[in-house]
Amino acid sequence: MQASTSVSPALPGPAAIAAPRRRRLGGTQGLKRAHYRETRLPLLLLVPQLLVLLLFFFIPALRALSQAFVLTDPFGSSVQFVWFDNFRDLFASPEYRSSIGVTVWFTLAQNALTIMVAGILAFATDRVVRGRGLYRSVVLLPYAIAPVIAGILWAFLFNPSVGPAAFVLKSLGIAWDPNRSGFDSFLLITLAASWKHICYNYIFLVAALLAVPASLLEAAAVDGAGPLLRFFRIALPMIGPTVFFLLVMNFVYGFFETFAIVDAVTHGGPGGATMILVYKVYIDGFVHINLGSSAAQSVVMMVFALVLTVLQFRYVERNVNYDV
Amino acid sequence: MKMTKQGFLTGLLALAAASVVAVPTGAQQRTEVQFWHAMSGVLGERVDEVVKRFNDSQAKHTVVATNKGNYDEVINATIAAYRAKKAPQIVQIYERGFMSMLLSGAIVPVQELMTEKKQQVDFADFIKPVASYYQYKGKLMSMPFNSSTPIVFYNKEQFEKAGFEGPADTYGEFEKQLYAIKSKGIAECGTSLAGDYFWSMLENYSTVNDQPWGTRANGYDGLDTEFVYNKSRVAGQAARLQKWVNDGVAQIAGQGLSPEQLFTSGKCATYFASTAAHGSIERDPKIKWGATYLPHEADLTARNSSIGGATLWVMKGHKSEEYDAAAAFLAFVASPDLQLWWHKVTGYVPITNKAYQLAKAEGYYKDHPTREIAILQLNRGTPTPNSQGFHFGNYTQATFALREEMESVFANKKTPQQGLDDAVRRGNDLLRQFEKLNAGKY
Repeated sequence: MQASTSVSPALPGPAAIAAPRRRRLGGTQGLKRAHYRETRLPLLLLVPQLLVLLLFFFIPALRALSQAFVLTDPFGSSVQFVWFDNFRDLFASPEYRSSIGVTVWFTLAQNALTIMVAGILAFATDRVVRGRGLYRSVVLLPYAIAPVIAGILWAFLFNPSVGPAAFVLKSLGIAWDPNRSGFDSFLLITLAASWKHICYNYIFLVAALLAVPASLLEAAAVDGAGPLLRFFRIALPMIGPTVFFLLVMNFVYGFFETFAIVDAVTHGGPGGATMILVYKVYIDGFVHINLGSSAAQSVVMMVFALVLTVLQFRYVERNVNYDV
Repeated sequence: MKMTKQGFLTGLLALAAASVVAVPTGAQQRTEVQFWHAMSGVLGERVDEVVKRFNDSQAKHTVVATNKGNYDEVINATIAAYRAKKAPQIVQIYERGFMSMLLSGAIVPVQELMTEKKQQVDFADFIKPVASYYQYKGKLMSMPFNSSTPIVFYNKEQFEKAGFEGPADTYGEFEKQLYAIKSKGIAECGTSLAGDYFWSMLENYSTVNDQPWGTRANGYDGLDTEFVYNKSRVAGQAARLQKWVNDGVAQIAGQGLSPEQLFTSGKCATYFASTAAHGSIERDPKIKWGATYLPHEADLTARNSSIGGATLWVMKGHKSEEYDAAAAFLAFVASPDLQLWWHKVTGYVPITNKAYQLAKAEGYYKDHPTREIAILQLNRGTPTPNSQGFHFGNYTQATFALREEMESVFANKKTPQQGLDDAVRRGNDLLRQFEKLNAGKY
């Protein structure tokens, strides 16, 4: 700590660059500390953000935690402390276990679909010669559409009685009825959720692909590598950090932000086939006012999200190279 | 620009003048009470009209009506407000919230309030299944306001074309008619499943056919009630519905499409719906339609159907003069004249026999015969322990479980029996939770 103040904020020497990443991060040689000798200003600047976090995250999280251990009537007139009963009831309920399964599958499917389609679209951007601006705008459009509207659009398009898309499917001889078939409705929300999020992935991937040095690609082209080979062997490894970042973001999106789409498209049905965890928290807490169970579910979700994020960072990030 | 500014100034002056006039206390001061309701659109306008009529009818009280969203949102808003000690005086809560409200410790029983405030309301005159739903120990806990019951709407031309006079009284015959209409290609489907089919085709099937939905007189006799509809004739009804859906005789509209449209566009021949659907079906008549009673089982006597809708609850923790205002408003709502008007403009049933007699006397049902079906159906026979209503705790949640399980049944993922068994198991867990929480209160 002492050393850092005495070191001038010069660029790190070649030795520092060669040093392993971890040590660099752990060291104190950054520009930041050297510039701000005063501690009050940074703290002051942090206050608004900390306040927001306190009000909208820490206090609600603590409330949820305390609610998870009690049984209470909606009006709060009788409150019983029940230890882990709410959690035990949750895990004993087949409906909750099925909801976990649905969420896992949904998040995985949505993640894979989103990143693949966005990847193809981003890869194709360079190959679109005429109307590239139009192409980009069209790809980005869904991002400007509110999730509920997007959900209603998809629900209507694929409504088995009146939806045009359902009509096409029927004329192709494909049985389609998301009102009855759990698989169909699962497919529908996966498609809707991915469609809504592809643009987000696309922006990042296009930017990342632009940053891939053209000289490398050209050199490979001279050596006879085709576009696909260049993409998979050169571009993809180089945009690894972005892809990893997107995987995490997609996971968070699928886990927490697809609520509106589920609400508009399926209401979690039929028979709980699209009852993802976050929607179940909403239904039990806000519609049925079963606060104890809903709070317990939020806590489980938080733990679930934490564990998965840690796992992702541990196992996926290992294969991501930041030092290119 | 100038005009606007002047208008604004005049407005300000008027406001100031008004507040000056309003400040001096005396006989003329009006007590203001809040009324939260769940009626939007046309119905919301009707509620505003009710409130306006009340405010204009006397000089002591002012009711301020606010729409707080749908029924779920209203009960949520009320709970949040109550916890923050800012609850409205009067709030409209759906029938499924009865037990939660009753045992909340947050309400003032309406019948007691009316007696205490010396408001004249003939409590014996309420339509029986309406009153019995909201009574606890023989007294009304909340003021019935908008009550409905399901009836069957049907497409007259399609039934005539198939050679039927109208829908049959019994489910067996009715089913044959639907299959005939579909197989002859007269209509694409027999019936459009409404969003609340669990109410019109399961719960009301149970009441009309006098089947127990739960033990302890459907929960009236104690919190230790258990659902038993998986062991009654309802199981057969669930199997029937599954068959209808599988054969395309019943159609599920699904998200993004209203089930009523499937009926009013002529796609489906019948539609089981609340009598309050009259309002919208009448407004947009693309088809020639009629309406009739719910079918029943041939070997069972048809009883009264059960109600749906909402009542007005009075919340605890307000001043005495505010309760004067609330009581006066509730008495106004229950008065025959207002009920008659409400019945005619909304399609809900009149909640008192006096209002019903008024409508009859002025010949209203000669022009609108289908409007009388609901009330005749409600008044059919004396309500039995099975048909007086449903007093189950956590009932919205239990209903949700039933709906989910029925969806699995419609998807052929579960047999009707399995589906109902699971719904009953889930429902009973919720009942036990409610019992544990409210032990000794009922």
